[in-house]
Order: sequence, then C-alpha cells, then structure tokens
Amino acid sequence: MPLGAPPLFQEDEQETPLQQLIRYWTNERHAPDILPTEEDLLSRLLDHIRSQSETVQLLRSDPSSSEEEHFRIMLAQTEVERVKFVVRSYLRIRLFKIEKFARYIMTNPEVQQRLSESEVDHARRFARLTDQHFYHSVLQSLPESQQTLDDQPPFVPSMVTEPDKTRAVFAHARQNCPPVRLPDGTALKMQKGHISLTPYSVVEQLVTRGEVELV
Amino acid sequence: MALPRPLRMSISPPELELIASEHLIEIVPLIAMEKTAFISGAYGPLRPPNKCRIPLWMATNLKLKKKCHIVSPDWLSVDFLQERLSEETSQQGFSRLPFRFAETAKVVLDVASDDVQDAEKIRSLLKDLREARQAKSRDGLSQLDHSELSLPNLCSMEINEIRPFFTQAMDVFTQLARQPDADNP
Repeated sequence: MPLGAPPLFQEDEQETPLQQLIRYWTNERHAPDILPTEEDLLSRLLDHIRSQSETVQLLRSDPSSSEEEHFRIMLAQTEVERVKFVVRSYLRIRLFKIEKFARYIMTNPEVQQRLSESEVDHARRFARLTDQHFYHSVLQSLPESQQTLDDQPPFVPSMVTEPDKTRAVFAHARQNCPPVRLPDGTALKMQKGHISLTPYSVVEQLVTRGEVELV
Repeated sequence: MALPRPLRMSISPPELELIASEHLIEIVPLIAMEKTAFISGAYGPLRPPNKCRIPLWMATNLKLKKKCHIVSPDWLSVDFLQERLSEETSQQGFSRLPFRFAETAKVVLDVASDDVQDAEKIRSLLKDLREARQAKSRDGLSQLDHSELSLPNLCSMEINEIRPFFTQAMDVFTQLARQPDADNP
C-alpha cells in the first residue's frame, strides 16, 4: 500500500488468548475439515473463566461494595459470559464435525491425532451407536453382502462421509506467506492482508501453521 | 444436532459483531474505576476526564448506562468516508477501510450516535459506500474460476454477505474442472 499504512488501521499489537480462540473458532467454522484441537489454550481460558467467576462471587457477597465495585463486577460478569459464548461456539462446531465425520475419524488415525482424547472418545461412541442403530433397524434384514457401511463402489461417493477439501473458503493472510500451488497450476504468493477466495486444499497448510486465517 | 444449519459453514452477523466488539476503542469515562484485570487483559484506570482505551463491548455497556462518551474512531467521520466514497466510485479496486468497519460503525452508531458528529450524514455515507462496494463485488463474480479470486480490501461483513453464493459458484467450477479427468482416467 502506498498510503504508508495510516495509524487508524492499527491492529491490536499482541493477540490475546481470547483473540486466538476467536481466530480458531472462525477457522473451524469455515474449514470443511476438522482442525487440530487447541486443548491447552482452551483449558487456560476455562481456568481463567473459573477464577474470574469466583472473584465475582466473592465481591458480590460483600454487602459494603461501592458503586465503582458494582460496575467492575458487572463488567467482569459480562465478559465471562462473552468468553463462555466463544468457548461454547468453538466446541459446538467441533462437535458437529465429529458427529458428521465419526466413521471417517475412526478409520483414520492421522485425523484422530487432531482431536483431544474426549473428542476421540465421543467419535468412537457415536460411530458405534449409529452403526448399531443402522444394523438393528435395517441392515440385519438385508443379504450379508449388503450389510457393510464402508463400501466404496465405483462411480458413486464413498459411504463414509469425508470432508470436502475442495470447498471454497475466504482466506486472509496474517503475514507474508510462502507460495502455494493453485489448482490451475499457477503459484499464489499471499502478502500480508491479502484476501482470496480459493479451494480449502490450497491454503490447508497455511491455516494449520497460522499464517492464514479463514474469514 | 450440535449446530443449526445456517451456522455450519458460515458465521452470523451478530457473531461478527461480537468479534468486532473485542477491538479497543477510546472513551471519555464519566465514572472512576481502578485498573481492573479482565480475561482479555487489564483495562483502566478510568479517571474522568482522561481518555482511555477499552474494548468496544465494555464501552457500549458503559455508554448504555450513561457512564462514558465514546470517542468515535478517526475513520468514522464525514471527511474520511466522503474521501473513500469518491475513491470508491472513481477507481476500480476496493478502497482501504478497517477490516471490521461495518460492524464497528453499526455498534457505535447504535449506542452512541450522540457522540458522533453528523451521525445522520455518516449513516448515509456508509450506506452509499456499501452499495458502491456491493456493486463491485458482484462484478467480481465474472472473474470467478475454479482456482482463485483475489479480493483485496474486502471487509468481513461484505465477505459474509457474498459467501454463500461465491463459494457455491466456485464449488461448481471445481466440479466442472474435475469432470474431464473422471471420464478418461
């Protein structure tokens, strides 16, 4: 930009843990595939929420608090609710993907590594439940050759739902990125601030490394 | 189901507003408050009439209780927006605006229109800007193919607006491009 980046567009210098989680949340929302879990960040924020709520409770039970105190309590509480919303939204989108891709996750150890322990556990139980349900309601009365749930017959999509990595996403470069290869064979080098609509497979690596965020 | 359908691949405008409300904005407090630690950082101390930078959500909260004035950001002014609008109508690309300007402007104008100079004029300028930019992004659709479309300076709310149509259109291109291989492997 020839404008010399006017100061009014300044980014907030350092990304706070909450802003990080917000970024992971929007990434997760837009990415067709399930992204690596951010367990550490999440547990740190949950601890923070817990301690902040405790402080609020403590201050609330003090009847002699001033008006100023009241405002601080109210603001702290509002923030706790906001952070909880982000945490929940992040977990919900992951839960949705886990249930959708449960069988795919259970057949791919590589994907399981991206999930936290409890998430893998949920995927396992969910896959087992649906399998049993299908078996008891329909499959058991079909001929044995048609009872499987993971056929890959030619010319039709596989029976196991897989993430569609060719889905288009809007990518926003957070820094200058190394060139990536586009489906038409040319290379794309994203400068910081660049916004592109492109298939997810193109920017997959950059998203995992945090060089690009999905918006 | 874990998630309602509209939220499965997109993000809703109120959610964008929530994200934008994490950004800092300047206020003139009307109450005093010691420096306080919040989850997103420590803010304060508030000492009227000294200016202070706090997150937008906190500013709206205080403003609604009439405990502060919001200092409208430099870009939320008639001069600046007028200049961008003329740039927008005379040049081809999108003009440079803060990434979350639409959300921020909406929040500020909703709760603190009395703190913004010429709020009415600004509203109409924002509307004009939006329309000019919308027309451009629609033109951009003609350049869409299966591999990439650069949209420099497009803003978050605008992306969200064109997302359903643009991504689906690109998915169709991708399928069409893949077809020839499927026929003769």
